[in-house]
Amino acid sequence: MEIIQVLSYGILLGGLYSLLSSGLALIFGVLDIVNVAQGAFLVSGAFLTWQIWDLTGIEPILLIPVVALLWFGLGIIIYRTLFVRVAPQGPSMTVLLSFGLALIIEGALNLIFGNKFKSVQTSYSLQSYKLGEINFPAPQVIASLAAAVVLVLLYLYLKLSWAGRALRATAQNRDGAALIGISHRKISSFAYGLGMATAGAGGVLISVSYPIYPATHYEWISKLLGIIVLGGMGSIPGAIIGSMLLGIVEAAGNTYAPQWTILFFYGVIILSLLFKPEGLLGARSRKDSV
Amino acid sequence: MKSLRFTKAKKIAVLFWAILILIPVLLPDSQYEQSLLIVCFLFAIMASGWNILSGLAGYVSLGHSVFLGVGMYTGAILGRETGVFTFYFAPIGMLTAMAFAFLLGSITLRTRSHAFVIITIAILLSVQLIVSNWVELTGGSNGIIFRSPSWARTAGNTPYYYMFLVVLVLTVALVRFIMNARLGAGFISIRDDESKAASIGINTTQYKVIAYCLSAAPYGLVGAIYSQYLGFINPTGSFSILISVYLVLAALVGGKGTLWGPVFGGFFIAFANEASTVFSGGISARVLIMGVVLVFTVMFVPQGLLVSVATMLRKRLAKDKTVEFINQAAIAERDAPLNLNNVKRAPSKAKADSSESILQVKGLYKSFGGVKAVNGVTMDIKRGSITGLIGPNGSGKTTLFNCITGTYGADSGIVIFNGTDITKMQPWTRAHMGMGRTFQITKLFKSMSVLDNLVAPLEKPSARNMLANKMQGEEVERAREILDFMGLSSFEKSNVSALSFGQQKLVEFAQILMLRPDIVMLDEPASGINPTLIERLSKAIKKLNDAGTTFLIVEHNIPLVLGLCDYIHVLSAGEIMVSGTPEEVRNNEAVIEAYLGPDTLLEGLDV
Amino acid sequence: MNNSYKGLRKTALVAAVTALGLLITGCGIGSSKNSDPLVIGISLPLTGDFAQPGGAAKKGYEVWASLVNEDGGVLGQQVELNILDDASSAEQVVTDYNRLINQDKVPLILGTFSSLLNFPASTVAENNEMVLVAPAGGSPKIFEPMPKYYFFAQQATAPRQAEPFVNYILSLPESERPKTAAYATMDDPFAGPVIANMQALFEAAGIKTVYSKVYPPETTNFQPFASAIAKAKPEIIAQGAVFEDGVNLAKGLIQIGYSPKAMFQTSAPSNGAQYSDAIGLANTEGIFYAVSWSEKAPTPMNAEFVARYQKLFGAGLVPEEDAADAFAAAQVLQAAVEGTGGTDNPALADWLRANEVQTILGPLSWDEIGRPQGDFLLAQWQSGEVNIVAPDVAKTSNNLIFPKPAWTK
Repeated sequence: MEIIQVLSYGILLGGLYSLLSSGLALIFGVLDIVNVAQGAFLVSGAFLTWQIWDLTGIEPILLIPVVALLWFGLGIIIYRTLFVRVAPQGPSMTVLLSFGLALIIEGALNLIFGNKFKSVQTSYSLQSYKLGEINFPAPQVIASLAAAVVLVLLYLYLKLSWAGRALRATAQNRDGAALIGISHRKISSFAYGLGMATAGAGGVLISVSYPIYPATHYEWISKLLGIIVLGGMGSIPGAIIGSMLLGIVEAAGNTYAPQWTILFFYGVIILSLLFKPEGLLGARSRKDSV
Repeated sequence: MKSLRFTKAKKIAVLFWAILILIPVLLPDSQYEQSLLIVCFLFAIMASGWNILSGLAGYVSLGHSVFLGVGMYTGAILGRETGVFTFYFAPIGMLTAMAFAFLLGSITLRTRSHAFVIITIAILLSVQLIVSNWVELTGGSNGIIFRSPSWARTAGNTPYYYMFLVVLVLTVALVRFIMNARLGAGFISIRDDESKAASIGINTTQYKVIAYCLSAAPYGLVGAIYSQYLGFINPTGSFSILISVYLVLAALVGGKGTLWGPVFGGFFIAFANEASTVFSGGISARVLIMGVVLVFTVMFVPQGLLVSVATMLRKRLAKDKTVEFINQAAIAERDAPLNLNNVKRAPSKAKADSSESILQVKGLYKSFGGVKAVNGVTMDIKRGSITGLIGPNGSGKTTLFNCITGTYGADSGIVIFNGTDITKMQPWTRAHMGMGRTFQITKLFKSMSVLDNLVAPLEKPSARNMLANKMQGEEVERAREILDFMGLSSFEKSNVSALSFGQQKLVEFAQILMLRPDIVMLDEPASGINPTLIERLSKAIKKLNDAGTTFLIVEHNIPLVLGLCDYIHVLSAGEIMVSGTPEEVRNNEAVIEAYLGPDTLLEGLDV
Repeated sequence: MNNSYKGLRKTALVAAVTALGLLITGCGIGSSKNSDPLVIGISLPLTGDFAQPGGAAKKGYEVWASLVNEDGGVLGQQVELNILDDASSAEQVVTDYNRLINQDKVPLILGTFSSLLNFPASTVAENNEMVLVAPAGGSPKIFEPMPKYYFFAQQATAPRQAEPFVNYILSLPESERPKTAAYATMDDPFAGPVIANMQALFEAAGIKTVYSKVYPPETTNFQPFASAIAKAKPEIIAQGAVFEDGVNLAKGLIQIGYSPKAMFQTSAPSNGAQYSDAIGLANTEGIFYAVSWSEKAPTPMNAEFVARYQKLFGAGLVPEEDAADAFAAAQVLQAAVEGTGGTDNPALADWLRANEVQTILGPLSWDEIGRPQGDFLLAQWQSGEVNIVAPDVAKTSNNLIFPKPAWTK
């Protein structure tokens, strides 16, 4: 019974993490950028949600399209003004740029919102659904369902739309895609915008599930990096699988040995990168044989 | 002129150190300034150490403060157990950090750039976690607290000031030594092009681990001192990701890959940090300010402020320089003598029989996913021959080359060179055995001059060589002679990217000769260069071949192949289709069909 | 590389000279002329992990300065607070206090927030022979080196914080007394000892430990904890929380519907509306916590403190406990300065060891290494408000809710 409870918690966590990590996977897959600012985008999305909720009392989940769209636009602007210049210099420089961005966002959040925890109260904040003996806390269930919906939409979009196909083409072979007429600059900013949009949507869901605080972006990005490294850094299905696995690991860790839970994430990162750098679902490319 | 510059530079450096040494003496009431300078020293030390691995060798670490923490805790734990002040354990802190770096380096340096950056972060955070939880050893998150020395009240920060300064001096001296030694040149070649470095005899694994250890050493040394200075350490503060980012920022701002850049950057960041505390009036914008500085630096001055300013100065000074005229014809006509000892090994018994095979490939297979690039190749290269390897595009020639040189590992099959099975050997070992190769798209070390590129190859591994000054030695003389032979002497000091494509090819050829190779493997040497330079190359090849060097050449330029080679293998779809003399191959129907397609008339194919 | 050598060297010289210039200017900017105000140097975590309580402490200090200046200042001098942000970093604390003491040459200093940050602060203070009165920092570790200048301005050190709660539970008759207890605490130098001590005392009295776990500060998901605790069916749940974790665990317990007979949390429940909004006002009913202060306490200056706080920061706001602790710390320093008639720090230290100070937390006195000798207060949420229920002298309500009512969802 206890194991089923742990699994249930894990899957709910995994559902949420899937959406949060998909953006990171997308940005890496198409742009070859390890976007460590993703955690900061998440947290700032959560703060925006909180602010709107604080002013209007509106049900936060309804804000997903609003925040996602805003973040999409912001993502395109950020890519065009900042990353375009730095991307040719290679992965180490883009990581640093992304880190700088994260610091700016954290600093700005500190200044705007001050240093108090914020939490969104909804009608279901304290509810829990019960299936026999197993508990399913309501905020997590709703967040996971919403995450799943957004992910399905994302998947369909990538699979069926021209832009989606263009993204996948660029992820597989950037120069080839450019040769067939896919504007590299346009598709790159589009990808970054899309990645940031998922962070916006994820931020809404976080605001419903946890109290938020500017400095928490570090914890988020550590977890998300672990997830996409495990699943295969450019692969969205990989991110989903990684999320599920690590969600279950986290639930189990918090039940049995909380002090070591986060170490699992780091251990996963290290071991994966050493022994199976392409992750569970990524492909080994000719470039790897250096 | 050069010695004059050197003296001037040295004077400035001496002035810098002198000021720092004298501050506590000249300004006795400067406890605050000294505490600020201590932070400057700390960042300068950390940025310089990081520079060895990440600036010179190009492996960017975002978790380097883990070594500071290792030093801090080593000193702290030993101090706690023995009751002695932690700074006495500085040397042990250094050794611990180096040992830890050795362990880590051996495991993690096989990953490529993205993965390496992420791993370094993960390691930092993991160690922080382990230290937090290993309560018996480290005191856990409660940290460790230290008693102050009895002189703390009277002397204040000054003793620590000098301790940190000593470590800074040592660190700068270390970096300077590395940059002047062949070891440093080796690091830079790894940064510029790691697989190329491996192919010219640099044991990249060994070099990278050395870089890692040396980069950790200053951290371990200063960490043990820092513990006592703080008076209290805890896991979060000692293994901080933010400090890791700040030290990288410091190196970037100053200029990574330079000697003084990280020092300047360390001072800059320490001042910026303090300024953001003092001038923000109680509202802290430190994180915001540091973020802005980081973004700005990465975007606008990624090579660092010092280098940017220096480049601007140089451009202004260079306005009056005349543009040089490159005399191509002179290059082609130069017929300088070549001391063959410079390009060949001493003859050994194994080479007596010239009809023997120098290189044998047996049953080689290599696939990429579903694509069978090399599909069972067996071939013999006779010693002293010039053998050609031709075939249509996509036939697997370069892959075959790469399997022979060790750049790729073959899926199956064996490679025998000079009688030894080299199938499992690393590329640098093959280079040491006398195998040199050039690349289809010329690979040279872009941040180095032509001469530096020539001096980079390692004919034999040797510790003494590693530590030797890169500007001196018999390699430099040899390099100059080879350059002269190739007609490229006037380009000695130019950066390789200033040369034309064809000239770069000649440079790469010359570079390989430094290995004193028994076999030279050329991958499309004539592609993309003008006939004059092709002529030059042919002459060089013939001259060396006359002296006994074997050549294996991949080429599309059929006249060149037919004219130069004594034997030709034709590769198609990963298999050897035909082998024979140029005459035999030229008239072979299957070959013609492979190149031109079926049903093509042979008229006019006169070579 | 050689060509730029000259330029590089020149630039390095310029840089060195500029740096030196900055340094000298820095000296100039920082040095205070000895004019009228009595400057008190303070470092606080205004950003970073402790920004919340750090901000509260700042307000407390500011309220004190406001009241004191209105009243003629200290020893006839108006007080001026020089507050620096240490970003919750131990290294920055060292730099900050070094600057305040040696550069700005402040005659007096006050402590920063949290045990973690007051460790290094006390080292700097000891080395410079400056009295450090700390509003937070009751972890036993700070006292290990036997400090001569450190004074913790609350009623008792961390391990003893839970004693009022322990005493209450053990005072219950055998039939009503809980038999089992679950402990969850953050790996924190302050919260840890509080719960550890409680656990030791309860175990010695025969209350069985059915669950005991320590979790790292970055833990966000507490439902697994709630499930595991509920499964063990403890009658007492005690948590060493900071804030977010306290809220999260409580929410987890509410979601699965497990309500113990008695629930105790450190810190979290002291955050007033933030806490009650997060878990629901009705759910706060009966939750215990140890506290150093209550806004209803009839201690001297308390009413003025609350009134001035509300005037400066918002009508109707209840000051945070951390703000009150800061105020009290400042009161302690003020008493010592007025008691000795000057700012001779060694004399201040001697005076504090020999005297009791009346503060809004009640009377405070210290042993020879700065440990306060009083008792903490036991607080309980009752009908949406906080009341002090123990010890008797500080009670603001005779009512005491036990057992804790079930959760309302």
